Amino acid sequence: MVNMQRRVLLVLLALAVPFALAAQQPKVVTVDSSSPLLEVKVMVKAGSAADPAGQEGLAYMTGRLLLEGGYGDPKKPVTKGQLAEITRPWGEGAYPQVLVGKETSTFSATIPREVFTDYVARVLRPLFTEPLFASAELDRVRRETLEEIRSALRFQRIELLGLLALDNDIHNGTSYAHLIEGTVRGLEQVKSESVRGFYRTWYRPENLTLAVSTKDAAIVNGLREALAGVGQRAGDAAALSPRAVEAPPLVTGRHVTIIGLPKAIATGLHAGFPIPVTRADPDFWPLYVANVWFGTHRDSFSHLYQVIREERGYNYGDYSYIEYFEGRPMYMFPPTNSPRRYQYFSIWIRTVGHDYAHHLMKALTWELENVVRNGLTPEQVEAAKNKARVLYLSLAENVDRLVGYKLDDEFYGLTAGYLDQYLARIDAVTPEAVNAAIRRCLQTENLRYVVVTDQSVAEKLADDIANNRNASGKTPKQYQLDSEQREGVQYWLIPENRLKTLQQDAVWEAYRLDVPRANIRIVKAEQMFETAAMPQ
Amino acid sequence: MLLAVTAPVLAERPPAKPAKVFPYAIHKKTLANGLDVVVIETPEFKNVLSYNTLVMAGSRNELEKGKTGLAHLFEHILFRHAYKGQVGAYQDLMERLGTHNNAWTWFDITFYHPLSFTSNLAGRTLGAEQLPGVIELEASRFAALDFNEKIFKTETGAVLGEYRNSSTFPTLRMSERLLALAFPDHPYGHETIGYYEDVVAMPDHYEAARAFYDTYYRPNNCVLVIAGDVKADQVFALVEARYRDWQAKPAAAVPAAAPLQGPKREHVGWPVDVAPRLYVAYRQPRFETASVETAVGQLLAELLVSRSAPLYKKLRFEKQTVSELAFGEGTQGFESFDPRLAIFDTQLFKEQYAPKGAAYFDEVIRDIEQGAEDLKQFSRQKDAKQILQTLKSKYRYDFLAAMSSPAAIAQILAWYYRFERDPEVFEKLLGSVERLQPKDVDAFARKYFVPQNQVIITLAYQAARAEK
Repeated sequence: MVNMQRRVLLVLLALAVPFALAAQQPKVVTVDSSSPLLEVKVMVKAGSAADPAGQEGLAYMTGRLLLEGGYGDPKKPVTKGQLAEITRPWGEGAYPQVLVGKETSTFSATIPREVFTDYVARVLRPLFTEPLFASAELDRVRRETLEEIRSALRFQRIELLGLLALDNDIHNGTSYAHLIEGTVRGLEQVKSESVRGFYRTWYRPENLTLAVSTKDAAIVNGLREALAGVGQRAGDAAALSPRAVEAPPLVTGRHVTIIGLPKAIATGLHAGFPIPVTRADPDFWPLYVANVWFGTHRDSFSHLYQVIREERGYNYGDYSYIEYFEGRPMYMFPPTNSPRRYQYFSIWIRTVGHDYAHHLMKALTWELENVVRNGLTPEQVEAAKNKARVLYLSLAENVDRLVGYKLDDEFYGLTAGYLDQYLARIDAVTPEAVNAAIRRCLQTENLRYVVVTDQSVAEKLADDIANNRNASGKTPKQYQLDSEQREGVQYWLIPENRLKTLQQDAVWEAYRLDVPRANIRIVKAEQMFETAAMPQ
Repeated sequence: MLLAVTAPVLAERPPAKPAKVFPYAIHKKTLANGLDVVVIETPEFKNVLSYNTLVMAGSRNELEKGKTGLAHLFEHILFRHAYKGQVGAYQDLMERLGTHNNAWTWFDITFYHPLSFTSNLAGRTLGAEQLPGVIELEASRFAALDFNEKIFKTETGAVLGEYRNSSTFPTLRMSERLLALAFPDHPYGHETIGYYEDVVAMPDHYEAARAFYDTYYRPNNCVLVIAGDVKADQVFALVEARYRDWQAKPAAAVPAAAPLQGPKREHVGWPVDVAPRLYVAYRQPRFETASVETAVGQLLAELLVSRSAPLYKKLRFEKQTVSELAFGEGTQGFESFDPRLAIFDTQLFKEQYAPKGAAYFDEVIRDIEQGAEDLKQFSRQKDAKQILQTLKSKYRYDFLAAMSSPAAIAQILAWYYRFERDPEVFEKLLGSVERLQPKDVDAFARKYFVPQNQVIITLAYQAARAEK
C-alpha cells in the first residue's frame, strides 16, 4: 500500500516538474526535413501594434537592436561586428534576421546541422537572453530608419508609399495604423530605456514560439532550453502596459486620399475596406478562391490584370488581396510571418499615366461591384481553383517557407496547418460557397481609396471626382486601331473584340464614384508617416 | 503534401567536405540540332516540375541603334504565342494545365521558367479534353512562335508601363549613365529594358523584333534545364520528339568591348529631394569557370562589401558616411560573357550632403578606392589565410543554401552551365575557390582596381531654379 502511494506520488511529482518547467519554456513547432541546413525561427508575439502611443517604432527598434545592439558581458560585449565574424563561416543565412509585423517579431537563421550546439552556445542563447541594446547602435538605426522614411518612402518608392498609406488609412486611429518601422515623431522619442522595457514586457518564454526544420529531439530541446531565460535581463526597465488591439474603424461611404509628390510621372491607385475573415475562418477558402480569380498577385491570371493590362495595356499589373501582403512590390509570393488578426480587402492598380487615373478609379470600382453583383460562374471557380493549386507549389516551395507557415499556424490557431490542408480545402470549394463568401464579405459602397500622383494634377483630380465627371480612357488612336478615309471623313475600323472593349470603356467612363468633396483630401508626400494618424 | 527534403550525398552526419559539390546527379544530352538538355532528378519534391529554357541572348545582343529593349520585349512576346494559330492559346492552355509561368531578361540571357506539377509534363485529360503537356507547349513557342503585329503592339504598351514603374528610381538614371560611360561602343552600354526613346518607338519595330527571334531563338543557342520529380530518360525521349524540327542557325557575334579608358566620372542632378547616391565601378574580367581570376571574383563581395569587410565597417559604422553599401548588381553582375562591372553602390545621408556638398562624395570615393587599394596588399594581413578559409567555408554553405527547390536548382545550374556548357561546372568552380591563396587576391586587385578601369557616377538633389 505504502509502495503504491509512493509510486503514485513519484509519478505525480514526475508529471508536475516538467509541467512547471514547460510553463517557463517556449513552445517549439517542427517541420520534418533531413536537409543539412536547419531553418530556425523565433516568433515573439508582439509587433508594432504594441508600440506605446508617441513611440511608434519601438517594436521595430527592439527587434533590430536585439540583433545589432550587442550581447553578453557588458564589459566585454559581443558586438554586431563580432556576431558577423562568428557566423561568417557558416553561411550568409547564419547571420540572424528579423521581420517585425503588426503583431509579431520573427527572427530567422539558417544553421548547418553540424554546428548547431556551437551556434546555440555562442549566438542563440546569449543573443536572446543577454542583449545589451547599445545606445550608439540605437542612434544609428534610428537615423537610418528616419532617412528611409523621409527620403525613399515619401519620394522615391511611389508604389510602396501607396500600399503603406492605404494600410495606415484603413486602420487609422487604432494601434495597427502606423508604419511598422515607426513614424518620424515616434522614432525620435524611442530611448534605450523604452527598448529595454519593450524587451522585458514582450520577450518572455511564454510569449515566444520557436520553429525548426527537424524533429530531432536533441535539437528541439536544445532550442527550448536556449530561449528559456529570455526577457529576464532587462535591468530595471519598467514593463509596458499592453495596448489594446482594436478592429479597424467602420468605413461609411467612399473616401479618397490623394497624396501629391513633387515629381511623379505616373499615378498609383489603391482601394480597400476591412473584412471580417482571416485564414482561421471557414469562409476563408471560398473567399481565397474568389480573390485568386479577381486579382492573384503579380500574375496574368488576375481578372483585374486581364481587363486593365492585358486587354488595354495601361500598366504593369493589377491585383487584389484578402490578406496583407508584406514586401510588395518586390516579392512574387507572400513572405511568411506577418500574421494579423485584422485583415482588409484591397486592390492595387500599378502606376498609370495621370490622364487615366480617374478612369481607372471608376474601372476598379465597377469591376469589384460587378463581381459582387454577379458572382463567379462555375467555370471561373474551376479555373481559380486550378490556379490556387498551382500557387501551392510556390507557397510550399522550400523548407524555409514550410517552417514560416508552421509559425503562422500557431498565431491563427490552425491545428490542421495552412499548407497541410491547402490542397484539400481548395478541392472542397464549391461555386455556391464562393458566391456566398463574395456576398458576405465584399461590397463597394464603403471604400477607402489612396491615390499617389503628381501634386500638379491633384486638385483637378479631386474636383473631377467630386463632380462625378465622365473620365475617358484610351482613344481609338491610343488603342492603335486602324482608320480609313471615306468621303473626307475619318472612320475608325473597330474589330469585334475591340468593340467590346470600347463599350466597356464607356461604362467605366460614366460610372459614378459618388464621392462628395468633403470626403476627398489632398495631402503632400512629406506629410505622410510624420505621426500615427493620416494627415488631414 | 509536405516536401520532405533530402540531400542524397549529404546524409545524417555530413563529412567536412562532401565528395561531390553539387548534391544531385546531372543528366545531359545534346540533340542533333544543338539543343542541350539537362535533367536533374529531385524526387523528394513530390510531383514538382521545373521546366526551364535558357536563351543565350539578351540585351547584349541588341547591336542596332534605336532598337534597344528587343530582348526584353521578346520575353513578353513569348507569352503571346498563338498555339495552333489561336490567339492567346499558349497562355490559356498553360493556365488550364496548371502552371506558374514567368521569365526574366538580363544582358547575356533570357530565362523562361514555368513551374508546374510533374503530372503535366506530357499532357493530361481535363474532362473530355486532352490538354497538351508543358513540353509540347514550350517546344511550340520556342521552335515555332506565332505572333502578329497587333499582339506585338499591345505588348509594347505593357513594357512602357514597366519602364514608368522604375523611372522614379534615381538608380535607373545612374545605371543608364554608368553603362553608357563604361561601354560606349558595346551593347552592355544600355539597360535591358532599353532606352526610353526606343521603348516609346517600339510599336514601329515589328520587323526588328521578328529578326531578333529568327536569329537567337535557335536550338544551338538555347539550353533546356528540367528539375523536379522526373525521370531523365522519360524527359529526354519526350524532348527529343518535340524539339527535333527546330532548326539551328549560327548566332551573330557580339563585338568585344573596347578598354574602358578611365577614369570617368559624371554627376546627375535629380529633381526630387532624395538621398545622394554614388556608384564607383570597376571593369571586371569575364567569367571563366576554372580560372583564378573568376575564383577571386566569387569572393570579392564578401571581401569588400559584406558586413564583416573592413571597408563596410568603416563607412557604415565607424565614419557613418553611408547608409547602404553593396555591389549594385551583386556578384552575378559580372558573371558575364563579356567583361562587365563590379559596382560599389552606396546611398549617402542628406544631412551630411547639405553642409559638405561635393566634398562628401569625394570623401566616400577616397575611402572606397582605399578599400580596393588595400586588397592589393591582402596577403600581407596577418590573418589573410584565416580570412580566406572562413570565406571558403561560407562560400560552400551559401552554395548549399541556394539549392532550396527544383526551380532554384535549375536556375543556378542554367546560370553557370551557360559559360562552357560543362556539367562539371560546379566541381570546377568550387575547386578553384578552394585552391585560392592570399596572393591571388593581391594580383587580382592590382590588375583590376586601377583608374583606367574606373567609372564614377554621383547623384544628388538639384533644385530646378539652380540650373542656369
